[in-house]
Amino acid sequence: MVPGVRTSPAALWAAASTYLALAGTNLRRQLTYRAANLAGLITNLFFGALRAYVLIALFGAREQVAGYSVRDAVTYSGITQALMSCVAIFGWWDMIRSIRTGEVATDLSRPVDYFWYWCALDFGRGVGQLALRGLPLVALYVLAYRITSPPTLWHWLALPISLLLGLFVSFAWRFLVSLTGFWTRDATGIGRLAFMLAYFFSGLLMPLAFFPDWAASLLRLTPFSAMMYLPSEVYLGVVRGPGLAAALAVQALWAVALYALARVVLAAGVRHLVLQGG
Amino acid sequence: MGALRLYWTLVSVRLHGQMQYRLPFLLDITATFLGSFVDFVALAGVFSRFRSVGGWSLGEVALLYGLAEIPFALKELSLCGYDYDFFAPLVRQGQLDQMLLRPLSLPMQLVAAEFPLRRLGRLSQAVLVFALGLHLTPIAWSAAKLLYLPIVGLSALAFFAAIDITGSTACFWTVERLEVFSLFSYGGAAMLSFPMHIYHVWLRRFFTFVVPAALVVYYPALFLLDKPDPFGLPRLLSFLAPLAGLGTLAAACAFWRFGVRHYQSTGT
Repeated sequence: MVPGVRTSPAALWAAASTYLALAGTNLRRQLTYRAANLAGLITNLFFGALRAYVLIALFGAREQVAGYSVRDAVTYSGITQALMSCVAIFGWWDMIRSIRTGEVATDLSRPVDYFWYWCALDFGRGVGQLALRGLPLVALYVLAYRITSPPTLWHWLALPISLLLGLFVSFAWRFLVSLTGFWTRDATGIGRLAFMLAYFFSGLLMPLAFFPDWAASLLRLTPFSAMMYLPSEVYLGVVRGPGLAAALAVQALWAVALYALARVVLAAGVRHLVLQGG
Repeated sequence: MGALRLYWTLVSVRLHGQMQYRLPFLLDITATFLGSFVDFVALAGVFSRFRSVGGWSLGEVALLYGLAEIPFALKELSLCGYDYDFFAPLVRQGQLDQMLLRPLSLPMQLVAAEFPLRRLGRLSQAVLVFALGLHLTPIAWSAAKLLYLPIVGLSALAFFAAIDITGSTACFWTVERLEVFSLFSYGGAAMLSFPMHIYHVWLRRFFTFVVPAALVVYYPALFLLDKPDPFGLPRLLSFLAPLAGLGTLAAACAFWRFGVRHYQSTGT
């Protein structure tokens, strides 16, 4: 948690309400970009449909592949399109930009913790994207295809937890990548490569389970699968019982590990950071 | 000749500028390479489980992918000025007014305005996948096929250019770039890299007879691979690529000239 100072319940409550307010501002900001959100939604719909056709063609006459039915695969193409803008799978440039322009000096001198400051802003953005692009897309998918829904009460309960963990892991990864800007000043190039990594291993292009078994079981364990692949499998119900618990455990482990790493790197970065004047 | 020399001078200035920052440039070109290449890698990765997509082998899909991606990447590299992401700000911020006043034709200024070398990344992955396709699926070459292949490439290039020019012309009125054109260009390229017969009938018809994307990639590919049309349409469709490419380009250019004539500055 936030180092040292805030320990009394009142102070904790004050801090929490600050972060909630930050998240709220960013959530409301999303609502103002109506045309962009609509255009994004149409793009998601198009690429989701494209992916669905490819998956249907790949299945051919097969009924079941790696635990997925055709209907699961089509649902998967919709769910991942619905989640991708929430977990910013194409990358996130806000923090990188603020370091390049020197705004980071103001951000670091705010009376809020730098990690939770960005985290609050990003959760506002992510939840806004989920509401504006994710839910309508799933609704449209329900109308266009016969998609599946989480099979048991356990899956319904696990889904919001899995989604929040996914957004947090994705944020922590993007935060770490952006932190390299404390050393390089402009992390755009590194960001492009690192976000590419997440894009490929996140399972947006193909369900990870469809890769050869050895690759699939490795890919499931990366932080990238924790971002949206595991939440999608929780939704589909292809993970059950101990599998469901294992999926959440992998996500929770990465959340803790990346958070700890972010703390260490942030501390080193703040010591190292040399600001440009101006 | 003078025009070519001028083009080369302008472009070499752009190239020189980009080579100044070596490391960021290398990171950028790698990211661009991977950004498109992973699409194919993901498909190849699951192929051992599925063995075919819509009856096509991995090699055949690789060839199709190359036929769609190589012209698309060439368009991105050489016609960046007409890219509406690049063009829309020119209209919005009023730089287009300056360009119209210069003693050099607007198309020349636009094609020489930008030459983003990092997009070589996309081109090289397209060539790589096409080569892989040739290796996996040897084409039964004939003189006609060898002759037709470059024509098909140029036709697809003309087609993709036409979409960009249309999108940019729309900016004369909308000022903002229209998202729907990205859907046509990026979405179109993604769609064309799979055999068209896997899509819904209306999508297929739209992209064959209204926006003739299938005529510049899929149908020529049927000819190169000696495949019959799965819907029994006449073989003639395989040879309409130049007509479709040049036709859409001519229409786009006419629309462009109309747009330039009716251009009213934003006043900035």
